[in-house]
Amino acid sequence: MCGIAGIMLKGSSNSFKIGEALVNMLNGCQHRGPDSTGFALYGESQENTLKLRLFVGQGDESIAAIKSIQQLLDEHGALIIDDEQVGETYRVTVNYTGDILKISYALEHAAKVVSIGNSLDIIKDVGSAEDVDERYHIRKFQGSHGLGHVRLATESDVKPEAAHPFWATGFADVAIVHNGQITNYWKMRRRLEQRDYEFHTDNDSELIAVYLADKLSQGDELKDVLKTSIDDLDGTFSFLVSTKDEIGYAKDRLAVKPMVMYETDDLVAIASEEVSLNKLFPGQALNTKEPPPGTYNTWSRSI
Amino acid sequence: MVKIDLGKTSVREGNEQIRQCGQNGENVEVINPDARHHIGVGLVHPITVKVRGSAGYFCAGLSDAAHFEVENNVGWGVGDNMYSGSVVVGGNASAIPGVAIRGAEIVIRGNMGSRAGQVMKAGTLCCAGNANFMAGYMMYGGRIIILGDSGVKIGEDMTAGEIFIGGKVEDLGSDAELTDIDSAEVDDIREFLDRYQISFKGSFKKVINAGKKLRYSTSETQMRSIPFFTFSGASDYWNPKIQEDLYIKSQIGRYRIRGYGGARPLPHFSDLAFRKDLSQAGSESNVIPNVRMRTEIGGINGAQPLKLSMPVMIAPMSYGALSASTKRAIGLASTLSDIAENTGEGGMSDAQRGAAKQLIFQMLGGRLGWNIHDMKRADGLEIYISQGAKPGLGGQLMAKKVTPELAKIRGIPPGIDLRSPSRHPDILGADDLVIKVEELREATGYRLPVSIKLGAGRVRDDIKIAVKDGFDFVELDGMQGSTGAGSAEVIDYVGIPTLPAIIEALDALEEIGRRDDIQIVLMGGIRDGVDAVKALCLGADAVAFGTSTIIAGGCIACMQCHVGTCVTGIATQDPEHEKRYQPEVEAQNIHRFLESVRWQIAAIANELGYDDVTQFNRDDLVALTPEAADITGLPYEPQYGDGDIDIKVRAVV
Repeated sequence: MCGIAGIMLKGSSNSFKIGEALVNMLNGCQHRGPDSTGFALYGESQENTLKLRLFVGQGDESIAAIKSIQQLLDEHGALIIDDEQVGETYRVTVNYTGDILKISYALEHAAKVVSIGNSLDIIKDVGSAEDVDERYHIRKFQGSHGLGHVRLATESDVKPEAAHPFWATGFADVAIVHNGQITNYWKMRRRLEQRDYEFHTDNDSELIAVYLADKLSQGDELKDVLKTSIDDLDGTFSFLVSTKDEIGYAKDRLAVKPMVMYETDDLVAIASEEVSLNKLFPGQALNTKEPPPGTYNTWSRSI
Repeated sequence: MVKIDLGKTSVREGNEQIRQCGQNGENVEVINPDARHHIGVGLVHPITVKVRGSAGYFCAGLSDAAHFEVENNVGWGVGDNMYSGSVVVGGNASAIPGVAIRGAEIVIRGNMGSRAGQVMKAGTLCCAGNANFMAGYMMYGGRIIILGDSGVKIGEDMTAGEIFIGGKVEDLGSDAELTDIDSAEVDDIREFLDRYQISFKGSFKKVINAGKKLRYSTSETQMRSIPFFTFSGASDYWNPKIQEDLYIKSQIGRYRIRGYGGARPLPHFSDLAFRKDLSQAGSESNVIPNVRMRTEIGGINGAQPLKLSMPVMIAPMSYGALSASTKRAIGLASTLSDIAENTGEGGMSDAQRGAAKQLIFQMLGGRLGWNIHDMKRADGLEIYISQGAKPGLGGQLMAKKVTPELAKIRGIPPGIDLRSPSRHPDILGADDLVIKVEELREATGYRLPVSIKLGAGRVRDDIKIAVKDGFDFVELDGMQGSTGAGSAEVIDYVGIPTLPAIIEALDALEEIGRRDDIQIVLMGGIRDGVDAVKALCLGADAVAFGTSTIIAGGCIACMQCHVGTCVTGIATQDPEHEKRYQPEVEAQNIHRFLESVRWQIAAIANELGYDDVTQFNRDDLVALTPEAADITGLPYEPQYGDGDIDIKVRAVV
């Protein structure tokens, strides 16, 4: 029960800051989800360098968590380049060339992993887009593309870790924001668990992320993966997915969860409601499009 | 032309200005709309509103007589429930354009989203481009013109009305069929298109209802009448209820429809007792002046609250299920006892409005009888999500009761077995619901309390959504609640009983620390003042009586409410039967019952040493059964004996 937003800048356009654009878009649809807000931000990446963010809590709890994170990183041969504690999270950049699935599952023993990626950083917390921006300075983020999400918690708790976006646990740089409900969640989850994938929440959005990432890791194109998802996932959904270089959407055949998009030569922006897109272009009548039911599409960053 | 800049003014202020312009007869230009929601909602004057850009959800919704021109796109539900007037959209329309319109003209120059014209009753919805899936879904009347392609499942479950398609008919919906078109109809369409300067040279195909699903194929004949109390009393394995069920199913070959509530024994208020000995309660000559009972419901967010002389309301029951005379009697009784009445599903008649001093107007998924004018003369608005007797299902009104008069107020064709939609066209999640609540508030200038009617199912989740979406109060209905017509299995086996419903609701609100942000009116099998006090002790802010008021007003509980030939004249629309009912007499009977409730509440309060009904609390109660103790968390103390205490009621009226 939420509002979603995604934006990708094409070419060399830097007329928008990704962070600022997402905060503004989510401001426009905050009514859809007052409980928590989150962002998946894609910035510059360096080879063999990983960005990690983990929930560590506060006070003594956080000190202990950070200590065991650092120990685990050391055990896995990840060399810390830079780190910082912000809000209830610990952000750390490491030099690492090993198995990401392995290190992410190991780190779960120390703290809840928010995201791991070469360029991805997920920031999510309780409160509005403005609240989260105040804590994490989202507006300053330049980057190339990103996703945003406002959430009204219905079945699960109002906790930072239940907020979106969801990282595809174990797969670098794959993130998702989702509005809807996957009704064959447990069936799909059992299938993936039989293949030794781990799930760290009971949220259906994590499932979509892992489902997509698993297929991507087998070499499928994002577009094909989205196509399959419409058949495999049961329920009502509108979701956006992003990888290091791509952004895409899929929408179920009944399409009761809204989605509107706007594309120019410089950018593509997608949101639950047109009011969010208009936040990027105040005072303009936009030639928007509504993706038809049962459709999907992707856009790539031209590098 | 008055210019309103939504870049500088909030929609709420903007709408107030638009309505003011309406009163002054001045036209309006809205600049910088930026796809904001609710533009022009609730306008009832024949002015022109030009929107320079895109509008969001429910543009021109709940309006009458005005003319809207939107230069660019519109979001969900353009022209929602519009009575007359017009909306012309220059760009595309998102889902459910023209939802529930009752006579307006809506023109979309671009394409339109799915479920166009859902539950529309009259008027014209015209799209110059293509339609998405299920255009005309569950429409009850009016005309849809699509110049482009139809999209799949056109006319899905339409009841009446016509759909004309200029392009390709991709796929017919359930119970829809293609039919011949006559030249007069084409001339009418051409005239309409000319009026809106739309040129179209092609020919049309016409889709209408095929008439295969409007009536149950077998009607349920009354076998014999077992009173509800006999029906539900014995717990023998083979009992009169099972016997009757088998007989009827052997005749009709489908699930049964019946009136009244569930007949299974469930944990209920009788399983709770007062810790204190109340055998002397009510022996004082007049306890009422000793206890403060006035209760305000619905004012916590700034709306004008319902002012109840005691924490009691009438539960929602429709004109349709009940006769006009019965609704009048209940309304009169509610006024005499100074509490609030509720319209239920069937719309608001002048007689109902006139009889009840305070009246809540209920909105259901079919939007039957729903309209801006009656909203404005209501004292509260209520969004029905479900009811305790049949959570998740819509109402049923058999053809016998769908008379021309009743059909007119609901905006539907007469003589169908009306199966009301079980869900709202524009409420498919908590996120849509919040936009809908806002629309109702905008349309009535934030004056009226807005409540949500919830049948107990997933109470824990639902109540959290209710509070987050800003409702002023919730009418929470347990599975002991009754209905005028529901399938027997659902009445008995679907839902959550009233006791766990209130407990789950309170736990959930506690969990998110928001108990004070919503009021709870509990209902579902509450019989008298003793049950009412137990509900208040558990934590309800007020209770509502449905079945009890009907019985007090002459119902013999034969459970044949759905048949439409009620011998008491209560659950019927047949004048021959209705004439037996004497509203003035029954109003007094219902009033006396309500006053007995007042007496019992006061007598118990007095005996417990309280002088205010807000002092009732959990510590006053114990549980008499392990089940009730488990559900409520009250101590299991069976030695307190009988849950059905008799509180003496002195003559009070």
